[in-house]
Amino acid sequence: MTKAMTISELELQIKALRQEFAADDGLPAGELSVKYLGKNGLFNQLAAVIGQLESTDRPEAGRLLNQLKAELEAAISKRLQEEEQQTEWVDLTIPGIRPPTGHLHPITQAISEITRIFERIGFTRVRYPEVDWDWYVFEALNMPQNHPARDEWETFFVDTPPHPERGRMVLTTHTSNGQVREMERLGQPPIRMINIGRTYRRQQDATHTQVFHQFEGLVVDKGINIQHLKGTIDYFAREFYGPEAKSRIRPFHFKFTEPSFEVDFSCHICHGTGYLEGQVDAETGGTHKCRFCKSGWHEVGGAGMVHPNVLKAGGIDPDEYTGFAFGWGVERTYSLKEGLNLDDIRLLYGTDLRFLEQF
Amino acid sequence: MNILIPHHWLLTHLDTDATPPDIQEKLSLSGPSVERVYEREGDSVYDIEVTTNRVDSMSVRGIAREAAVILEQFGIRAGLKEPDYHQISLEPDLPESEQLPLPAIRNNPAVCGRIMAIVLKDVDRTPTPERMARRLRQVDMNIHDSIIDITNYITHEVGHPVHAFDYDKIMALGGEIIVKEAEAGKAFTTLDGLEYHTVGGEVVFENPDGVIIDLPSIKGTLNSSVDENTRNILLLIDSVEASKVRFASMTHQIRTVAAQLTEKNVDPHLALPTLQLGVKLYRELCGAQVASQLFDDFPHQREPEAVFLTFSRLEEYLGVALDPKRISDILVSLGCQLNERENGVEVQPPTYRPDLQIPADLIEEIARIYGYHNLPSQLMAGEIPLQLQDGVDFALEEKIAQFLSNIGWQEIYSYSLVSQELADQSGFAAADHLKLENPLTEDQVYLRRSLWPSLNRFLSENPAAAGVSVFEIANTYLPVAGDLPRHELRLGMVSAKPYRRVKGDLEALLRHLFLDELIVKPQEGVHRQEGDLFVKVGGREVLIGSIFILPRQRTGIDILISALSGAAAGYPRLVPLPKSAPVIEDMTFTLPEKTYAGQVLETIREQAGAIAKVELKDIFGQNFTFTLTYSSPNRAISSEKIKPIRQKIADTLLERYGAHLVGEV
Repeated sequence: MTKAMTISELELQIKALRQEFAADDGLPAGELSVKYLGKNGLFNQLAAVIGQLESTDRPEAGRLLNQLKAELEAAISKRLQEEEQQTEWVDLTIPGIRPPTGHLHPITQAISEITRIFERIGFTRVRYPEVDWDWYVFEALNMPQNHPARDEWETFFVDTPPHPERGRMVLTTHTSNGQVREMERLGQPPIRMINIGRTYRRQQDATHTQVFHQFEGLVVDKGINIQHLKGTIDYFAREFYGPEAKSRIRPFHFKFTEPSFEVDFSCHICHGTGYLEGQVDAETGGTHKCRFCKSGWHEVGGAGMVHPNVLKAGGIDPDEYTGFAFGWGVERTYSLKEGLNLDDIRLLYGTDLRFLEQF
Repeated sequence: MNILIPHHWLLTHLDTDATPPDIQEKLSLSGPSVERVYEREGDSVYDIEVTTNRVDSMSVRGIAREAAVILEQFGIRAGLKEPDYHQISLEPDLPESEQLPLPAIRNNPAVCGRIMAIVLKDVDRTPTPERMARRLRQVDMNIHDSIIDITNYITHEVGHPVHAFDYDKIMALGGEIIVKEAEAGKAFTTLDGLEYHTVGGEVVFENPDGVIIDLPSIKGTLNSSVDENTRNILLLIDSVEASKVRFASMTHQIRTVAAQLTEKNVDPHLALPTLQLGVKLYRELCGAQVASQLFDDFPHQREPEAVFLTFSRLEEYLGVALDPKRISDILVSLGCQLNERENGVEVQPPTYRPDLQIPADLIEEIARIYGYHNLPSQLMAGEIPLQLQDGVDFALEEKIAQFLSNIGWQEIYSYSLVSQELADQSGFAAADHLKLENPLTEDQVYLRRSLWPSLNRFLSENPAAAGVSVFEIANTYLPVAGDLPRHELRLGMVSAKPYRRVKGDLEALLRHLFLDELIVKPQEGVHRQEGDLFVKVGGREVLIGSIFILPRQRTGIDILISALSGAAAGYPRLVPLPKSAPVIEDMTFTLPEKTYAGQVLETIREQAGAIAKVELKDIFGQNFTFTLTYSSPNRAISSEKIKPIRQKIADTLLERYGAHLVGEV
């Protein structure tokens, strides 16, 4: 019969286990856990001797073993936490691997931005036909039969019989056909419309494509005056071009507005001065003129107070209501963004992927 | 249109302290836009844009008149000078015996509002004096000799075109000038030797034999123009009806300065000062003598009608009230005559301002001279209209474009007008397209019915970029008899990626719009592989477009945005999460060639309600491996329950498709 184990013998064995554990310093937490706390680990092997102890010694033995287990668990858990903090070396400068991405077309980007800017001040975006009757494109807009815009050198006509009341079928030369259509849709003021769409003109060069986009604003209500037009344009300039941007209106002529204005935004290159700072001409001693703008300003498009005849055509009493309208090219307006450097708008409709991938 | 005005030429009509930068800035703010200032031969030359309604400003005199009013408003001293030629007598310089008879001028008042003419005798062909030549060079005009250059010079200074005929040629041609609308097919040769044929309706001068001897208001003809032998000239000014001038000028593409002025309704009252300046210069520079009485047929004198403007209307437009005295001063400075009333003013515009017709026209004049820059700037208050337009879904369009571009698709914009070739490719006959009556170029003639030919061409023109995918959201135009075409907004997609990837991208897009199930139903008997695209909405199949295979193994997709808009949701319809773990297992079948795997997959799913999902996992030769997910909402699924389902699937696929299960059930 084997002799019963004493407490002191157990203590010696526990001490030996502690020393072995301390010597296993380099082992990872996972291996330590298996070796010491696993099902057949060293702790369980040691704990099995409890049966060889006198029953009076067993409580003390239990206490010692529990203490040992708690120590081992705490040490391994600490090791595990330390290991989780450790990371492998990574080359932080190595080139990334990108997912395939495409690009929104710049005109889409411009239209989204324009839409949001005007929606913030209560404009509702609409869309009207690109192929429309002469009535909406010209006649209702106070343009007489012999107006140059209505002749075949500037406007595309569709080869189809004319409408008995509404005249010939044309490709819209401007988004202004939306003016009377919007008056018809709403029936009565207030109107705050932003109409963005494709437009068509018989011209083609670096700054003109046969197909292009315009955005048209129309506001009709009681008491609308030129100050509101100025306020709206100033607001748009700041939002679209930045807080430094300024706008101005100058006299111009359109048949469907009276008074009519040309709208200018300040040039971001020369900051509205027309001259380039710090560049002195060697010959004359004068400053260099800015070549990007006309004397500090860019002409962006037209605007004006809605002509009474247009209100009448839309069924609105011009004695009771007034309104303003503006219509600008999306491409032109967008091309004036600071630093964009877009000087040939034909590229927008071209097939050069390298160009589009820059957006 | 633009006009060039040298500063010192302007000063012959304008008395002012203003500097060129002053004039550029102030004029642009309140009048015609001075777009640039050039330095030319020691003078500042203004490049000025004049709007089409203000042809009265298309001259040195006209700009001086505007500048005088505008500069004064800015507090810069300025006044319009009275030129000396206004006093010139047009009486003959010669006794009656030495005078020359005027040709018989037979006007047609229906097409020509005024004709003035006078004969000048013994005109010397002197070189153009340097001062005149310099001014003409400064405004980009060619120098010939004084006989010709005087006509250009006076047109530029006064604003009315004028023509110098060789008097002796006119007399040799019959001594008669008949104003008429041309018949079609008549030949004429302009003074630069170019030959034309009339299309009919052009206003021309003819001789008694029906020979065209001038294209009035546009350009002279060779048979009546001055040449090196000319001794006597007939100086003639005509006011041909503006629309007739534009018609002839545009038809024959003869875009002379004269035509561009007269097509905008030049004031016929300018004829007299123009002729006066001409006679003065021919006398001084060419030693010419007036050899006839003045001919003046003026059937269409025009006096603009008076317009009444109320002060309250003015305030409505400006948002501020102006002092009536200020209003009157501005209108008078612009040449108007006034009849002041208590609540407004009755305005009689001058003959050169036929554009002033309604109160708003006068408001514009008062406001611009007062200065738009002097008006405050503010956003409008008032009610905001909330009624959205039916049938448009801008948010959806934006969402689609954003998502596709994020997963690798390039958005493009292509022309809505296409060539015959692209129209043919669309699958619709050219005759089923709307066609332009007057296209500018051959590549833009038809209103497109389909987007993909343009997208496909984009891919072909970027051969270096492998696997490119492009899309566009744009209208197509479906002809409708007797009405506008139906504008159908479409999403077009074309890709060089493998078909499964393209379809996967479409599925991901639809998932983004909370549309989970895409069904492709192959069409039979079409010239290319094509399938209709359906999505399931509330158990119903909705047709949204089609998918098709293009040459070079490209994939095209055509989706009608309105159909998608009707089906798409803004948020998901949630289903309860299963409480127990699903059972997932694979089944592999050998499919006969050209079996539609999508239909097989659908068939598998239909075999039991417990099949929550079927996916195509792998393809090896004709062996297709499907991954089936079984789940039940409330309790775990057991293998005993699955076994008969597997058997049913194997039996059905064998029967319906001839597909054999690989391995045992």
